[in-house]
Amino acid sequence: MEPIVYVSLGAALAAGLAGAASAFGVGVAGAAAAGAVAEDEKNFKNALILEGLPMTQSIYGLITLFLILLSARIIGGGFRFTANTPDNIVKSAILFGAGLTVGLTGLSAIPQGIIASAGIGAVAKNPKTFTQGIIFAAMAETMAIFGLVGALIMIATGVGL
Amino acid sequence: MFRPTPMLKLEMITLERYRDSVLTYLHEMGAVEVREVEVKEAQRDAPNEFYRKAASYSIIMSRMADFLRLHLPTKKGGIREFIFPPERKKRRYVYRGIEKLIEDVEAFLSEVEPEIREVEGEINSLNTEMERIRSEIAALELLSEFDVDVSYLRHSGIAQVLVGKVEKIRYGSLERELLEALEGRVVLVPKERGDTVVLAVVLLTSDYERANPVLAKHSFERIEIPEGEGRPYELVRTYQNLLGRKERELEDAYGRAAEIASKRYDDLKFYLELVENERNKASALNMLARTNMTFALTGWLPEGEAKKVEEGVRKLTDGIVYLRFSRPSEEELDEIPIKLNNPGWARPFEMLTEMYGFPKYNEFDPTPIIAFTYSFFFGFMLTDFFYGMIVGIVAALLVKGHRKFNDGTYRFAYTLLWSSLFTMTMGALFGSYFGNALDVVGQYLTGNPNFGMWRITDPLRDPMFVLILALAIGLAHLFVGYTIGFIVKWKNGERKGALFDQLSWMLVILGIVLFATGKGVPAFVESAEVLFGIGLTLFAIGEVVSNGGLAALLIISDFFGFVGTWLSYARLMALALATSGIAMVVNVLVQMIWGIKFLYIGPITGVILFFGGQFFSTAINALGAFVHSLRLQYVEFFGTFYSGDGRPFTPFMSRREVSEVVVESSGKNDSGGV
Repeated sequence: MEPIVYVSLGAALAAGLAGAASAFGVGVAGAAAAGAVAEDEKNFKNALILEGLPMTQSIYGLITLFLILLSARIIGGGFRFTANTPDNIVKSAILFGAGLTVGLTGLSAIPQGIIASAGIGAVAKNPKTFTQGIIFAAMAETMAIFGLVGALIMIATGVGL
Repeated sequence: MFRPTPMLKLEMITLERYRDSVLTYLHEMGAVEVREVEVKEAQRDAPNEFYRKAASYSIIMSRMADFLRLHLPTKKGGIREFIFPPERKKRRYVYRGIEKLIEDVEAFLSEVEPEIREVEGEINSLNTEMERIRSEIAALELLSEFDVDVSYLRHSGIAQVLVGKVEKIRYGSLERELLEALEGRVVLVPKERGDTVVLAVVLLTSDYERANPVLAKHSFERIEIPEGEGRPYELVRTYQNLLGRKERELEDAYGRAAEIASKRYDDLKFYLELVENERNKASALNMLARTNMTFALTGWLPEGEAKKVEEGVRKLTDGIVYLRFSRPSEEELDEIPIKLNNPGWARPFEMLTEMYGFPKYNEFDPTPIIAFTYSFFFGFMLTDFFYGMIVGIVAALLVKGHRKFNDGTYRFAYTLLWSSLFTMTMGALFGSYFGNALDVVGQYLTGNPNFGMWRITDPLRDPMFVLILALAIGLAHLFVGYTIGFIVKWKNGERKGALFDQLSWMLVILGIVLFATGKGVPAFVESAEVLFGIGLTLFAIGEVVSNGGLAALLIISDFFGFVGTWLSYARLMALALATSGIAMVVNVLVQMIWGIKFLYIGPITGVILFFGGQFFSTAINALGAFVHSLRLQYVEFFGTFYSGDGRPFTPFMSRREVSEVVVESSGKNDSGGV
């Protein structure tokens, strides 16, 4: 494959998979949030924060997309891997791998949305469980964070910014 | 610091006639947690008629307060009120026993209750009436299809008129079956209206019983014909006038309700608080034991309060009291309520410890350590000078505005203020000012494409450095946790646990550190291997001792559990880089837009995008930093030593938000139990 295909696929998978998963997560939590607000409008603030938690994965995806594009100089200068040399193919494949890592670990936004929606239900019954609800939801994010750590190392040490 | 407040057990016996005043004294002081007296078959006290009255008045009054709150004139609130809430004035009440208090409340109620009930009743009946008028108008609008005097539609005599609605698809069969059932002695006047048919049925009154089942079968929904004479559209006007009049009356009633609310709401809240506190006081009664002449009370109190309580109670009871304060025994360890004991600078952080759980009485209170590690981790994960400044300014304002209330907002803002200082420091160290914004501006101003602010390293170009830093910090954090656990367990006599669960990991960590720092030095590497080996052996022995046959499996899973816990600190690096990543994304977008010179669109939208984006990034990253910093404390750090199984100290205490009480002895305080 041409290097440009690797690079674009990497960027697209990072932002695309993580973004789609975040959308699922926010969707699940949002449905619960609407119910909680119907019970008592005071739940709005707490429900909103919990609903927003599964959004982080899409941000990690977006950052990875930008870093991949920066690293390949699609942003800020001419494309770095125009020639189809083995070195360029290796480097662009690393960028592809980084994007895929963030995209796949970004799927954690879906279970995070499920946890957040349960948290919203709990907060509607007892507002004191708010922080605990956030912590429970944050557990699911750990995998996405590990994915981001891996991707950052792949991009920065494997290819360079 | 580091230990919960020392507690004493209180035992008290005194005369029954002092009960009310002693309870009131303790309730207002709020220093003692009352516990049930452990005497089998002891006679228990129950709330007397005054306490029961207090309970029922508190229900009535809180309902009235709810009603008045709805009608309070809306205040100008907003962000200023949120940051600097005004202090509520406390009204003074001279307390001369519950009988007098109930008397005062009854006097107040006799004046206020009829006023409130009257206007409340009026509003309710007006609303019901308006609802009825609206439904009459809706019925008339349906009837307007007929354009005859409505009195005809009410007609009943030898012949009878029924008006109602039926679904359009059912009308055909209704007509057929009705004609059949009544052998043609019926007239139907249908008017179509969308999917329904408004229908007038004229029949002989004697045929009604035969027609009714047919009508019911076709779900004929009868319309009640409104009172009055004239054609429907004329009558609608009359009803609308009536509705207008009622609306004005309702406005009037709302006005009066608002007047009563602004005049009486504060008083109502004041008396409500008084009776609620009495009700709460009564909850202690069934924990006491009593005889005909005396009662006994037990509980826990902080050591520092003992003298004051003793003096106060002796004075109240004229010295006729048996009082005993004793230090807790070993068996009572699980019983002792926990009150955290920290210097002022660390006290707001107690809320983070409490949220997880209180330490046991013989355990370590990690609050002062958390004050530093939580704030530092927060700062590490946000790592931006200006983000720290934004968070710091908001936190400082909230601290200033809420300090006098010492509420949750104050405590949270205080923790944020500390965190913001660390954020700014870390931001300055890594040269992050709204991400790389200052670098970009500097490059533009100086024309030097390599211009950059001073920084120890650029995390985006050298993430390995940040990762190693994060893992080193994690190792140090875990080491502190295991060391604390070791000391606490050793002191409490759990030698085995201290050696196998705590010391083993301490040695493993020391081994890792020596190995990492002394790579080239053989002496370092050798001692690292020895330490690591001893640590692992201790750990393995511990597993065998506590789990027997299962140890083989658990050794592997627990060891990798430790590795997982350690690697979890990598989130410090990931979130720090995510912050600079998002900031950089905003900056790149602004740079792209900036170039549009037409009508200055570029710079104008650029500035909006820059500040909007950076504020959004501050908010979302601060949330992430808060959550994950807390998680590192709760899951990783507390996992090394902390149980969080302590029982919080819940003193027998009055709640005074709008009232303050001066207790005045009324001589004889006996209110007579039941």
